[in-house]
Amino acid sequence: MANRMVRTLLCALLLAASAAGQRVEVEEFALDNGMKFLLLPRTGDPNVAAGWISKFGSVNERPGVTGVAHLFEHMMFKGTQTIGTKDIERDSEIIKELDTLRAQIQTERAVLLEKERRGLIDDAGNPAHRSARHTELMEQFNKLLAEQRELIVKDEFSQIYTTNGGSGMNAGTTNDFTIYFINVPSNKLELWFWMESDRLSNPVFREFYSERDVVREERRLRTDSTPTGKLNEQLETMFWMSSPYGWPVIGWPSDLDAITRAEAMEYFDRYYSPNNLVASLVGDFDVDTVKELARKYFGRLENRGDPPGAVRTREVEQQAEQRLTGHAETRPQATIRFHTVPDAHVDEPALIVLSAILNGRTGRLYKSLVLEQQVAVQAGSGVDGRKYDGSFQMGGVAAPGKTPEDVEAALLAELDLIAREPVGERELQKVKNQQLAGDFRKLRSKFGLMLQLLTYEALGEWSNINAFSDRIQAVTPEDIQRVAKRYFTETNRTVALYYTKEGSGPPGRRRPGPGPPPQGGPR
Amino acid sequence: MKRRDWFKAAAGAALATVARGQEALPKHPRDLVFPKLDYDPPDPAAYRRELDSGSVAYLVEDHQLPLLTVAVTLRAGSYQLPPESAGLASFTGGQMRSGGTTTRSARDFDEEAAFLATQLSSSIGSTSAQASVNCLSQNLDESLGMFFDMLKNPGFDPERLEIARARSLQGLARRNDRLEGILGREFSRLIRDKHFSTVQSTQSSIQAVSREGMQQLHARSFDPSRMFFSVSGDFDTDDMLRRLNEALADGWPSDPVKPAEIPGPSHEPKPGVYVVDKTSREVNQSHVRMGHIGIQRDHPDVFKVGIMNSVLGGGGFTSRIMTRIRSDEGLAYSAYSRYQPGTYYPGMFSAGFQSRNATCAQAAAILVEEIERMQQGKVTARELDTAKNYLVEIFPRFFATAGQVAGTFASDEFTGREKDYWKTYRERIADVSDDDVLDAAQAHLHPGNLVALVVGDKAAVLAGNPDRPEFSFESLAGDAGIHSIPLPDPLTMEYPEA
Repeated sequence: MANRMVRTLLCALLLAASAAGQRVEVEEFALDNGMKFLLLPRTGDPNVAAGWISKFGSVNERPGVTGVAHLFEHMMFKGTQTIGTKDIERDSEIIKELDTLRAQIQTERAVLLEKERRGLIDDAGNPAHRSARHTELMEQFNKLLAEQRELIVKDEFSQIYTTNGGSGMNAGTTNDFTIYFINVPSNKLELWFWMESDRLSNPVFREFYSERDVVREERRLRTDSTPTGKLNEQLETMFWMSSPYGWPVIGWPSDLDAITRAEAMEYFDRYYSPNNLVASLVGDFDVDTVKELARKYFGRLENRGDPPGAVRTREVEQQAEQRLTGHAETRPQATIRFHTVPDAHVDEPALIVLSAILNGRTGRLYKSLVLEQQVAVQAGSGVDGRKYDGSFQMGGVAAPGKTPEDVEAALLAELDLIAREPVGERELQKVKNQQLAGDFRKLRSKFGLMLQLLTYEALGEWSNINAFSDRIQAVTPEDIQRVAKRYFTETNRTVALYYTKEGSGPPGRRRPGPGPPPQGGPR
Repeated sequence: MKRRDWFKAAAGAALATVARGQEALPKHPRDLVFPKLDYDPPDPAAYRRELDSGSVAYLVEDHQLPLLTVAVTLRAGSYQLPPESAGLASFTGGQMRSGGTTTRSARDFDEEAAFLATQLSSSIGSTSAQASVNCLSQNLDESLGMFFDMLKNPGFDPERLEIARARSLQGLARRNDRLEGILGREFSRLIRDKHFSTVQSTQSSIQAVSREGMQQLHARSFDPSRMFFSVSGDFDTDDMLRRLNEALADGWPSDPVKPAEIPGPSHEPKPGVYVVDKTSREVNQSHVRMGHIGIQRDHPDVFKVGIMNSVLGGGGFTSRIMTRIRSDEGLAYSAYSRYQPGTYYPGMFSAGFQSRNATCAQAAAILVEEIERMQQGKVTARELDTAKNYLVEIFPRFFATAGQVAGTFASDEFTGREKDYWKTYRERIADVSDDDVLDAAQAHLHPGNLVALVVGDKAAVLAGNPDRPEFSFESLAGDAGIHSIPLPDPLTMEYPEA
């Protein structure tokens, strides 16, 4: 399932959120088990955008099971006691036997991993190194899988939605939350209640191990095989020193190879209790009908205790500038990042307006770096306010004949200027005008609105969609200067410079790369 | 677009079951009873207006939000240009938006639009030019003025051209970086060879883009008598018609050229396995795509082929390819087939996946097996129903917004789609039988004539999986053999001798 997109999407929403003139009026109600509903009826086409969110994501994981939030999201499409099997009793037995075999295989594999660690073999995955017992166990495992396959009703969950005209079904996992969504024809809204409450009350993680392989392929596709995927991952781990935001949502490869079904079930029990969940419907429906359906279907979910508390490990304060120098098959570029504030912090609106002043066709970065100095061919900035922490990032791609260092210097000069001189009246009004128009534009898509309500609620409360706009309109030039001075300091800075990898460009046009990254300094 | 009142029935049913308590939950979704939903698609004639200049507009009012969009499409594109001019069409489209107008400097144009929060766009692709404006309805006068200023009097600011050129040249240099980029480019070349749809810009063609060239392309293309407008949102139809007629009346280039026919490709693809060795970074994943020439949009089998492909690999998680490669074997994150009918000439059938190097051969063997299986027997009733129901059920989604209604009808007329296409769409889907699907598979899939392309680590992919030695690309290729395609110089697009 798609997942990183939601993070990007959220940033986009925060930049284009709500309005002074245009309020979103949501009807909110909760079931006895604590599950909350955000309802927004809208006339128009006969369709409802429907989704729900668990207010937990990869930030709630721990070392050893990184990626479990996302892997779990995949498993939610694999069926239940009712959906996805012809014989739930035999199916459940096989699942248990498979787990036992897998644990035994894991013991064998641990021996090979130990040898690989000591350099005795180069690849623990090479079948030539396996013991006879290891091979025998794998054969048994595959035999059982074949038996189970006979009982499985393939992808029945998807098939039922598809045959009933459910469209755009997907889910996404981010650092802070996990979200599940679909469009359903309005006459078939009850199907959504049936399907979602069923998978929340009795999910069965069949095909767990092949799905783990699918996620490994997803990781290869999104991270390993893209020119800068692994460098960006390294930047994240460097930027977040102590916060669990440092590990990738998709998880580390070693963990993905080893997470067990029991660990995924544990995650479910802890983070998918109904009092941790919020659902939202936007579209063509009747509120009273929906409330009845909600009680009827989601009322059966059992509240499994108090929600987990806030993530304990907080980001420590950075003491010195951090720098990353990478070489990749990409254009030469610079990224600069500062630790700032979490979502809905009082300083966030000023940071967002500041970023809007830098961004876009008439933003300062494009006008200065691209048009005037011609040091970059593109440049931009963004605010990433997460639940527990946040960051401000800016970056640019060097113009021909210019270096990442040139771009870095030009970017920093723009930040200095912002801190030194108040922004102009018209410049600020332009950003506010765009915000006001954006308040209407964001209402065009019911599906988009449903996603926004859920993400706002997961990070704080949905009504921030309305409050946000007022806060943006209230930002003054002094606010912008104040946050610039406060957060854009040298010791709070992380810089990543990417150079074009030797031999990856066209012949005869290569620029010499820099030396090794600067060494020394305090350790 | 009429809203149907089915709530009462639904509410009644829900309350009745709830009264019987928790036990009353239907055991399986098949036990759910849904109220009927009647839906009639909008009628194009209700929105179509002919303009004084001879152009056509579809206008769909929707006053829910104080926003509106005016979009225009017309025939222009790289298909009209020789390969040495590759890039000129897209530069012309982009610079119409970026290069200011004869009355407003590039900077003033951008600032004015930004302050009004008006979004303007312009682009020229291979067979059409598109432009649009989206604005708050209170800013209609200024915004529409800017839109037509952009369309009539583009300034093509020389400085903006140089900035775009520098960025484009830098991008060219990097086009062998991404596996999926190489895959798409080389697969098109294998299927269509020398055809406008496969032409790539080069360092010299980008350097040849000139202000005069852009002015000429603009002048010959933007003919006010051949435009297709779609207008949607918060406006009054009569008022908008008056504005459009006024804007189209004068100030346009004086000597437009009648657009030429769009030429189809003539290449006969050569079946076999082709490999691009891309090992400049260590990646344990390669991309595979295989396929052949397909059919055109007006082919009588087009609905049968659509259903057939949905069962094979177009239907996401419920399709055979996805089920076997991803769900059964865990070999790939994404696995698909596409049977995209061509608008102006036959389209392409393609199927593919990404998998780790060792398992590409196994996944490829499954792909071929599934393509063959479509020809060997009928699809199941469940498969057929799922594919057909989906397309019938989501039908109202095609016309969910005023923008979609206006845009679809304008595009239909621009591309010459048959008039009753949407009116009969659901019936034509419903009429497809399992025999039809088998016929379509036998007539329009050619598993013996597949062009298969691998982009990735050649040695590792060809070595295959030591756990599953029975799968290999050698056996898949058979007599057609395995051929290497070298990576071209990204600036000249010259291919070294293999």
